Amino acid sequence: MKTDWHAAALARDVPPKVVVAAQFDGVELAVWRSASGKLSAWKDRCPHRGMRLSHGFVRGETLSCIYHGWVYGTSGACQHIPAHPDLTPPSAIRADAYDCIEAGGVIWLAPLGTASAPPDLAGLTPVRTIFVNASAAQLSAAVPNLRGDHALRGSVDMGGAAVELCLLLQPRASGGVAVHLLCADQADRIRASRWLENLRRMAEEGIAA
Amino acid sequence: MISASVLNEWYPVAMASQIRAGKTRETLLLGQPITVTLTGDAVTVQGKSGPLHVCEHYGHVWACPGTPAHDLFPIPEAAQPGRRLVDVGVVRVKCSPLRAVENFLDIAHFPFIHTDVLGAEPHTEVNRYEVAIREESDEVWATKVTFYQPQAAKSAAGGIVQPLTEELCDVWPWMALFDDTTPQAELIAFQQMIFLQDRSILENQIPRLLPLDPGMEIPTQADLTSIAYRRWLKRRGLTYGAQMVAA
Repeated sequence: MKTDWHAAALARDVPPKVVVAAQFDGVELAVWRSASGKLSAWKDRCPHRGMRLSHGFVRGETLSCIYHGWVYGTSGACQHIPAHPDLTPPSAIRADAYDCIEAGGVIWLAPLGTASAPPDLAGLTPVRTIFVNASAAQLSAAVPNLRGDHALRGSVDMGGAAVELCLLLQPRASGGVAVHLLCADQADRIRASRWLENLRRMAEEGIAA
Repeated sequence: MISASVLNEWYPVAMASQIRAGKTRETLLLGQPITVTLTGDAVTVQGKSGPLHVCEHYGHVWACPGTPAHDLFPIPEAAQPGRRLVDVGVVRVKCSPLRAVENFLDIAHFPFIHTDVLGAEPHTEVNRYEVAIREESDEVWATKVTFYQPQAAKSAAGGIVQPLTEELCDVWPWMALFDDTTPQAELIAFQQMIFLQDRSILENQIPRLLPLDPGMEIPTQADLTSIAYRRWLKRRGLTYGAQMVAA
């Protein structure tokens, strides 16, 4: 499954009024959800003094930088500079936006203006996200019966039961990879979660499954 | 290759009291290992290729790896009768030493980083103040600065910054204040709290180096001091810890 879209997080891990750090192709991003539920993803850098916007705070439909409180609307444009309350900020002051949508319980990122749709995860339920200190290639090698590029799909034997699942891999600039686990059957979520923890251990220790 | 203008400046390298008490400090200055120690009754700073110029002021040992271009700058508050100097200790910060200095020049962050202590919403406005580069002393001065501060002590507070590398520094938060009653431990705890709040910013600015390319970061009127500071650095070639061209 080749796609323009990368999984940033599970949708429920970014509730309204929350901002988190994410990555797209090695670029650090801030992903946030407004009070009304609108998602945005921007480069993780305030244009003013370079502070990470993922350390900021959400109020209503805006994200503020924690350093000087500059307020950005969901379009990315700076709306308010607290040091100069009467000033209308120049339109050039704006956060560098990416496409960001929620589909199948997952938050997806792509370069701005991406025309394609994110992968179809119909029939799969999000379970959890873990971070693995190994490369996507090492992780894929540890599960040879799962197929795919950034989305590994297939059936895994867990104590005699075949569990159908999907792993969305998001490589990180630091060298590790974020892994989002989805299951076909909600009832498998606990054993699949334990299996994933074991997979992390094997991938980090370089053991093949 | 570090320029002569950088090498010919004075840099803080240790607390004088600690070296005088017999402790030796192995540290870095501009990326080079140095040893600050007591030799007889003199504080000495030894680099790889010999001793550095040394002086002691404001409770600190200062070293110059090149040929000092001038004497160490004066801090008149340090000598003012009635001022109490408080040693707060050292905080290592993973950022450019220039970013650490610039943050000390900034007041607009007070309501957001030092909330209800040095500033508070809705009192966020920074009124127009004056900034000048004083040619005779070669210093950046901001004057007529006024700001709403809920709890700021009547103090001269700032920090002394040792450039370990271009992306790592040791900072001694420093204050000289008119206060003979507050216990020392309380003053130290206060100043440490303030500076650790600053560190949460300094270690999360991208890039870690201070950009001197004007296209890289967008200032406003409240940043006049920072604008003057960046110009002054550029003009004097003090670019250790700076990023000249956007990456």
